[in-house]
Amino acid sequence: MWKYSEKLMDHFMNPRNSGQLPDPDGHSEVGSPQCGDAMTLDIRVDEQDRISDIRFMTFGCAGAIAAASALTEIARGKTLDEALSISNDEIIDFLGGMPEEKYHCSVMGHEALEGAVDDFRVRRDRVLRHLEQILAEPPAELAGAVSGAGPEVVHVHPSRASIRFSDGSVRGIGDLLGKELSRRTGRSIAVEVVE
Amino acid sequence: MKVYLDNNATTRMAPEVLDSMLPFLTERYGNPSSFHSFGSDVMEEIESSRERVARLIGASPEEIVFTSGGTESDNAAIMGAVALNPLRPGLLVSTVEHPAVLRTAEVLEERGFPVSFADVLPDGTLDLESCSRQLSETTGIVSVMMANNETGVIMPVGEAAEMAREAGCLFHSDAVQAVGKIPVDVGSMGLDLLSLSGHKFHGPKGVGALYVRRGVELPPLIAGGHQENGMRGGTYNVPGIVGLGMAAELALEGLSGEKARCSGLLEKLEKGVLSSCPGSVLLGGKAPRLPNTCTVLFRGVESEAVMTLLDIQGICVSSGSACSTGSTAPSHVLTAMGVDPRDAVTAIRFSLSRYTSEREIDHVLQELPPIIRKLRELSPYAD
Repeated sequence: MWKYSEKLMDHFMNPRNSGQLPDPDGHSEVGSPQCGDAMTLDIRVDEQDRISDIRFMTFGCAGAIAAASALTEIARGKTLDEALSISNDEIIDFLGGMPEEKYHCSVMGHEALEGAVDDFRVRRDRVLRHLEQILAEPPAELAGAVSGAGPEVVHVHPSRASIRFSDGSVRGIGDLLGKELSRRTGRSIAVEVVE
Repeated sequence: MKVYLDNNATTRMAPEVLDSMLPFLTERYGNPSSFHSFGSDVMEEIESSRERVARLIGASPEEIVFTSGGTESDNAAIMGAVALNPLRPGLLVSTVEHPAVLRTAEVLEERGFPVSFADVLPDGTLDLESCSRQLSETTGIVSVMMANNETGVIMPVGEAAEMAREAGCLFHSDAVQAVGKIPVDVGSMGLDLLSLSGHKFHGPKGVGALYVRRGVELPPLIAGGHQENGMRGGTYNVPGIVGLGMAAELALEGLSGEKARCSGLLEKLEKGVLSSCPGSVLLGGKAPRLPNTCTVLFRGVESEAVMTLLDIQGICVSSGSACSTGSTAPSHVLTAMGVDPRDAVTAIRFSLSRYTSEREIDHVLQELPPIIRKLRELSPYAD
């Protein structure tokens, strides 16, 4: 048996944030070719770019499971950039140390986090791209409402977006925009028009 | 409760074995090679042990050389055999041999000896056709284990030995996992060399034997003394050899009744595990297997995580691989059988002994299923 710390064993036996998120904002699947370990990570991201929920699944040893659990605890509530700066040492310290031979088990978590954040950003950029396209060249049913009012994108998220019109009007076209955006991206996206 | 189901790693020493050894660790400390009777009387015990070990495998006493264990016996048999005939320097081994044989083969290959490998079938038994194809006029020795340490699968060594004999080469079998568990008869099996180890059948650690068929002139294993007919110099490991003899005696007595009891418990364990643990698959289930060994894949959960949780419950088992230095490879035995590497790292080996009780099996059947279920809930591969 490896000499595992009490805290590591606790995270192994009672993993925090395990499972999957329905319709996550970012998802990744990574594997360690070194030892066959594998991991999935799901994140939910709020308007402030903070990780509001995070879930993992791990195929691996006690060290790998505990490291994934620790990573999710550290990352939860952090902004994406803050989360990306979490180091392996931080995870190992959080767990009260780890046998040196097991350090590689903690590397996978970081890779999974990078993957999920990348996925989130790709999805978000895609929504933004489509939204900007719609606003620039609106389809007939939206053309009247959109044109001339210089709509600007306030916030974009993989599952929602908000826009504002320069005259501050709320033109009640959020639903129509959402439908069009959902049609183009194949994802259900809500659009809100804010003042 | 302590549950020890790792008897292919090592076994508990039989109390009778300890009793037989104690005098030689205390008052009977004489050197069997001495002139005086205080020492030379001990030689009778050595020879009596030799007879007991010979009887267990159907050999003659003079065909038994005591060694430090299975690894030494394997090394000596193979290294010695390839050096016997310069026209036949080749070595043929199965892909699922113990590292004691496989590493020796690699060392020989590095030294320029031709080494080839015979495949196994998906059920873990030796592929005799592959073995036959690999045999050549330069093959000097074929080495195939009698039973695999990881799966317990029993190899068709009799057939393989005959094949080797017809091809004009020697045949060695690493029988470390088989001796004491199933009947072994070097004569009817046609073996030239056989390795066995004491601690795998309730004898002491650090002692084993090499069977060398009469007429096979192996070079000395260790130079420097007249002991073992000049085959292996060095003062006799008296307590070890005496203990090995007693263990051989007990094993021979137990081969009939104990074997049935052990396989009954194994069957209970296998049935219980397969019916209660989702994703479980018995390896080599259709092949002949040792009455004490089963290896089960728990698909979707890595073996080390399972072993860690079992360890907390006092249950000792083993796996073919360990996630350690970052270079963990799935078991070579399982991958040779065609098991997907991702499944190979989920294998758990249960190995029983004559001291395994039904209570131990019941304890495993109670503790294991919730562990597997719990870890599967965490696993991305649990489908």
